[in-house]
Amino acid sequence: MDQDRELVNRVIKGDYDAFELLVEKHQGRIYRHLRKMVKDYNIAEDLLQETFLSAYKGLNRFSGNSSFATWLFRIATNTALMFLRKHRPDNVQYDDDLRTRAHVGHTPASAEFANTPLDLLLSDEGRRKIEQAIDELPLMYRTVLMLRDVEGFSVREVSKITDSSVAAIKSRLHRARHSVRDALNSYYSERDVYTHRGVTAK
Amino acid sequence: MKDCKEFCDKFSDYLDGEICESECCLIEEHLKDCPPCDQLFHEFQTTVQMCKHGVSEELPETVRERLRTFLREHCKKEELKIREEC
Repeated sequence: MDQDRELVNRVIKGDYDAFELLVEKHQGRIYRHLRKMVKDYNIAEDLLQETFLSAYKGLNRFSGNSSFATWLFRIATNTALMFLRKHRPDNVQYDDDLRTRAHVGHTPASAEFANTPLDLLLSDEGRRKIEQAIDELPLMYRTVLMLRDVEGFSVREVSKITDSSVAAIKSRLHRARHSVRDALNSYYSERDVYTHRGVTAK
Repeated sequence: MKDCKEFCDKFSDYLDGEICESECCLIEEHLKDCPPCDQLFHEFQTTVQMCKHGVSEELPETVRERLRTFLREHCKKEELKIREEC
């Protein structure tokens, strides 16, 4: 039996400390997920509290067929979607505008982006750019990319968390990744030109 | 014969191990023979790695503390209900 499952059993028997251990383990990732879904720190905090309270209330319905993390992220995702449907219905579109962005994914590679090692790309500026590129994705693309590439869930787990088909997840993931690549590519291409101009001017 | 765009459209499934072995071989052969696609794939792969490592998981201490207080207060009320249902 995995550690989370053991903790869940302890909570159900009345051990509140075990619940705090579950919260401690998962709160950072859940907060990040909610922050990216709603793009507002205060709302993400409210939804974080709501998510863990819902999880606590529903713990005896956790069947163990999926991991505790999958189950918890499903609650968090639904909590955020309910909030967004109520307060920002325009944001909650399943077949939205990435489909119509014809250029996505086919811009040529940038020499600077392709040749820079990952640890250098992950500078403070690089991290800001990646966060920005993800934030610019439409909600359902952003959510799928966060769950798969940032949180590391499998395509099938993402499909369970978001209650979407595997085919829909693959399609959104494909477009989201290409869109983020395009954004980073544009950024590094511009920087490349700027750097070369700088070098020439010297 | 597939064109470059068709290979490019398979990058995501290829990275996730969602395509069959023969298709994987076709992609790998194409990447060997086509430097622009190979570079594009490298960028695509790097993008996925940047997403994996580049998004902060920071949880401010104040948020953590308010969550702990909120849950202690509200979960107490639910505790009895959970035990009764079990």
